[in-house]
Amino acid sequence: MPSWSELQPFIVSGLALGGVYALSGVGLVVLYRATGVLYLAFGAVGAMGALIAYSLISAGAPGWAGWIVCVLFGGVLTLAYGVVFGPPLAGRDPLVKAVATLGLTLVLFGAMDLLWTSSGGQARSISLPTDNGGFSIAQIQVTWTQVLGLGLGVVLTVGTGAFLRYTSLGTAMRAMANDREITATLGVPVRRVEAAAWFGAGVLGGLAGLLLADLVALDATTLTFLVISSLAAALIGQLRSIPVTFAAALVIGLVHDLLTPITQLTDYRDMTPFVLAAIALLWVSRQGTVMSRSREEA
Amino acid sequence: MKENAPRRWRLAAALASVLAVGGVLAGCSSSSSSSSSPAGGAPATSSGAPATSAPAAGGGGSSDTSACGSKPGVAATGTPINLGTINTQQPGTDFTDIANMAQAYFTCVNANGGVNGHPIKYSIQTEKTDPAQIASDAKQLVQGNHVVGIVGNTSILECTINHKYWESLGFYVIDSGIAPECWSTPNTAAVNMGPRYSSDGAVQYMISLKVDKIAFDQSNVPGTDYIAAGPKAIAAAANVPIQTFTTNVPIQSANSVALQLVQAAGKNGAVVLNFTPPEALKILQAAAKLHIQNNVKAWGCSTPCDTDFLASALGTAFDNKLFVNAELTPADGTNTPTMNLYRAILKQYGSNVSGGIGSFSQFGFVEARLAVQALSTVQGDYTVASVNAAFKALKDVPTGMNCGKFTYGDYPMHIPNNADYMVTPTKGQMLIVPGSGCLQISTADPQIAQYVNLAGRAPADTTSLGS
Amino acid sequence: MVQTTAAQKTAPAPARQGWAALRRRDTITRLSVITALLAFTLFGLPQILSQYYTDAMTQVAAYAIVALGLGMLVGRVGLYSLGQVAVLAIGAWAGARLLFATGQPFPVVLVEAGLITMLLGTLIGLPALRLRGLYFALITLMLSGAITVVLATVNFPNGGGGFTGYNGGSLHIPAIRRPSIAGGDVAYFRYAVVVAIIMFVLVYAHIKTRPGRAWAAIRQSEPAALAAGINITFYKIWAFALASFITGVAGGVLAGADRFLYSIDFHPQDSISLLAVVLMGGVYSMYGAVIAALLNSLLPAALQNWGVSQDWLTILFGIGVLQVLTTAPAGLVDQFPRDMKRLGGLIMRLVRRPAARAPAASAPPGTSGTSGTSGTSGASGAARGGKS
Repeated sequence: MPSWSELQPFIVSGLALGGVYALSGVGLVVLYRATGVLYLAFGAVGAMGALIAYSLISAGAPGWAGWIVCVLFGGVLTLAYGVVFGPPLAGRDPLVKAVATLGLTLVLFGAMDLLWTSSGGQARSISLPTDNGGFSIAQIQVTWTQVLGLGLGVVLTVGTGAFLRYTSLGTAMRAMANDREITATLGVPVRRVEAAAWFGAGVLGGLAGLLLADLVALDATTLTFLVISSLAAALIGQLRSIPVTFAAALVIGLVHDLLTPITQLTDYRDMTPFVLAAIALLWVSRQGTVMSRSREEA
Repeated sequence: MKENAPRRWRLAAALASVLAVGGVLAGCSSSSSSSSSPAGGAPATSSGAPATSAPAAGGGGSSDTSACGSKPGVAATGTPINLGTINTQQPGTDFTDIANMAQAYFTCVNANGGVNGHPIKYSIQTEKTDPAQIASDAKQLVQGNHVVGIVGNTSILECTINHKYWESLGFYVIDSGIAPECWSTPNTAAVNMGPRYSSDGAVQYMISLKVDKIAFDQSNVPGTDYIAAGPKAIAAAANVPIQTFTTNVPIQSANSVALQLVQAAGKNGAVVLNFTPPEALKILQAAAKLHIQNNVKAWGCSTPCDTDFLASALGTAFDNKLFVNAELTPADGTNTPTMNLYRAILKQYGSNVSGGIGSFSQFGFVEARLAVQALSTVQGDYTVASVNAAFKALKDVPTGMNCGKFTYGDYPMHIPNNADYMVTPTKGQMLIVPGSGCLQISTADPQIAQYVNLAGRAPADTTSLGS
Repeated sequence: MVQTTAAQKTAPAPARQGWAALRRRDTITRLSVITALLAFTLFGLPQILSQYYTDAMTQVAAYAIVALGLGMLVGRVGLYSLGQVAVLAIGAWAGARLLFATGQPFPVVLVEAGLITMLLGTLIGLPALRLRGLYFALITLMLSGAITVVLATVNFPNGGGGFTGYNGGSLHIPAIRRPSIAGGDVAYFRYAVVVAIIMFVLVYAHIKTRPGRAWAAIRQSEPAALAAGINITFYKIWAFALASFITGVAGGVLAGADRFLYSIDFHPQDSISLLAVVLMGGVYSMYGAVIAALLNSLLPAALQNWGVSQDWLTILFGIGVLQVLTTAPAGLVDQFPRDMKRLGGLIMRLVRRPAARAPAASAPPGTSGTSGTSGTSGASGAARGGKS
């Protein structure tokens, strides 16, 4: 059993990991609430954006240009997906919509491996200026990028909550995610609201991708399937509550990293998100609430 | 509405798929220029290197490729000699650079007289770390491509799956291995050391730096205990405590891995990593960002870390802090005739070697060169029997890239490469640790001891460093 | 789809008799076609195919069982499982462990592997079955992620001792044994096909009897099924247990086919591409499972042999999922013949047109007829799922 002073740095790194999960977990929930679609391609879109930024930067483009392209790529690609596949799937079960985004994930994943191969031992990384500064807690350095990631999680949590609740566009999005047809009959310009939601979602994906490429790794497989772990936090938040998702992500990150120095459990630490999500889901389903509610497929 | 919707959306879906494919193609062209830029960057930086370290005249790529064949400029037109290979190709683990470089070498040979006038036809099979696929790849090479020799295999599992098959057919494989059976069976000889002996080398070097503890971490792939047995034996022989770890890949929390290893190693200890380049990079970068890379005395790494991608991504954080065991002569700053030929062939024929200069393509070069040398000794027809007899007869051949000369021979096990180099990142390149020569892997590893008993130490190849 | 069943019920008696006669004749032709196809698969195919493709077809046989299980869950009961590869891994693990540890006959091991997987699958799935739709899919993804971590730590048996049968330091890993009558690759291919046939018959028997009807009712509407007195939880567990059993048997077949097993061969993301091919193949027909297996196991082998990157396959599967979900819910098994028919019609029209311009006036009804059938394909596919 490691001593307290040995555990301290893992608390810091655990919070940083939690920030990583929070960024994509909160992103998933925000998109789900705004579009009614569990956008499982979130990680893949961000990864591809970051890889494009990497290629631009290593070809000599200035950093900021790469970052903007990354974020815009996420927005435009997601908007295109929403415009093409949103309407035909509009009346379908949330499950079908989620599985469709897995289709997009596969397309992007295949394309990324084709274009940014790992043959010949190619290892890529992307570095933000915020990496260079920071402060020190518990004998380890915390970079501004980590703070930025966590901060973006907080901003998203507070900001999107307020946006969806208090602005008319946000209200329209929530209504539309609930029932598209009724929202349309109420005179809401469904297509435009939807386009805004998708574009915003994609921009968020691109932004998260850029930060995660710096915080985790610039690697297509890692970033694409990071969504599976982050999904755990989103599930604990029942795909609805942004603050719960945020808190759950931090807890998952903390538990994962605190298990790392414990010899008996360290081999199983990667189960953390899945086990916590399964427990939460089952506990909630026992309460017989929203979790078991699912729209019938027409 | 439901009735028409499917038709309308079929059109939309078709359009979208066309767009998606189109986008992919467009992306393809844009990235091929960008992905070639790091590869293109490598020669540029290495041509800058002679000023600092390499004494020989002429930068990379100035050499003539015709040196690969016996009749310069004469295309071989005889009946082809069929060779084959099996390489892993899956997202995150791609070893096709080895086969593609061997192919480039053979193309060069074919354009310059071939092997006694015969061109070499090389069949490349890939696999996705799938045992069934690996077994059927071997059958396809033998029955479908009618190969008479196997050269260049590089796969996480291939030796385990196929060594009995090759044995039953009388094939003597020349490969770059990973699975334990690549070094413990009669019909496989690898030009590389593989994860175990390369980790041995890294640990051995750490011990020579007088560290008082070693934390050894590797990715959780098949055979971890087999790999860890080597470093454990080496550390035990030197009375240095060693703690071994395995980490699931892809790593999502590199920070905690780095913290765990640094804590385990301690102030005067060393961390030794055995990972693929992207995963090793995650841990090293995490240590640098946490500012804990100096909390241990040194960092060690097995061969995969020996790539300029890693050196340039790390910046200066690990200069003279990270020491990488390099199974072959490092490409940076080395201008031997062999190295210049390698660079020239890569430039002229290796357009699909996507990683460019690096240890993977070097493996392919060495394997192809050994095969051609063996083939040129064959009298009469090129059959499985004659070709593999020639492979097996390779003895004390200087490869120009190994510390020791290469010997196949008739042994129950083969570890022909048991001496190599240590490199360290220096200004974005991997350069030989100043003042270090060849590092012989210690016979404290029982497998090495067993092999040295059987075959003896290989004589040194003085051409490999050109000094 | 409710209307379809209603329409059938209210159909006048003579018409129904005619239907029955037609269906009987249809059944006989269908049976003979299936028999001929199976005979060809068992005896003709190995003669034509190289050993490389015979091995690939062995994989197809094993994955056809896996796809059948998943297709049944998705198409018949409406349960989208994103964890079937983990279930397959449990079956393969159990099969390999028993084959190393005991000298039991191979079929016995297959049944035991199936039963162990059924037991574990049901135990794990039991709580998950309380959830529906999206949440069920996501929890299966979570559980399979957890199982993958356990398997990566425990490792697959490789001839070692102890409960796990794993020896990480082994210098010579022994191969998993095959049945004595099917040691060779061609013989094992036939063996795998026979096992697959038995599994298909098993599932067919379920679909055609009481459980199949219950599943159809549950899939159409849970409240209605409940009102009709169907024990929903019981029949859902039954479906999950049956799918786990056959997937476990497939795991045993895979253990004998691969002969070496590694945890890295059972990624959670493989469950995603498995769902993709099952959806592409078609979940409302058992033929869909065969198509899914061909897409999953034969196509990669062929592409690999032609030197095409597997990444294109991943992209194709992604496009396939999007296409199936938006336009052809019944999958390739339904769409392909329709497309062929339409292509045939198109060619016929092109051929006829120059010959006789005059009857062009009669063409529009024909075209509108064909487009009408294609337009209702989604509904008819769903109806077939409900009808079973």
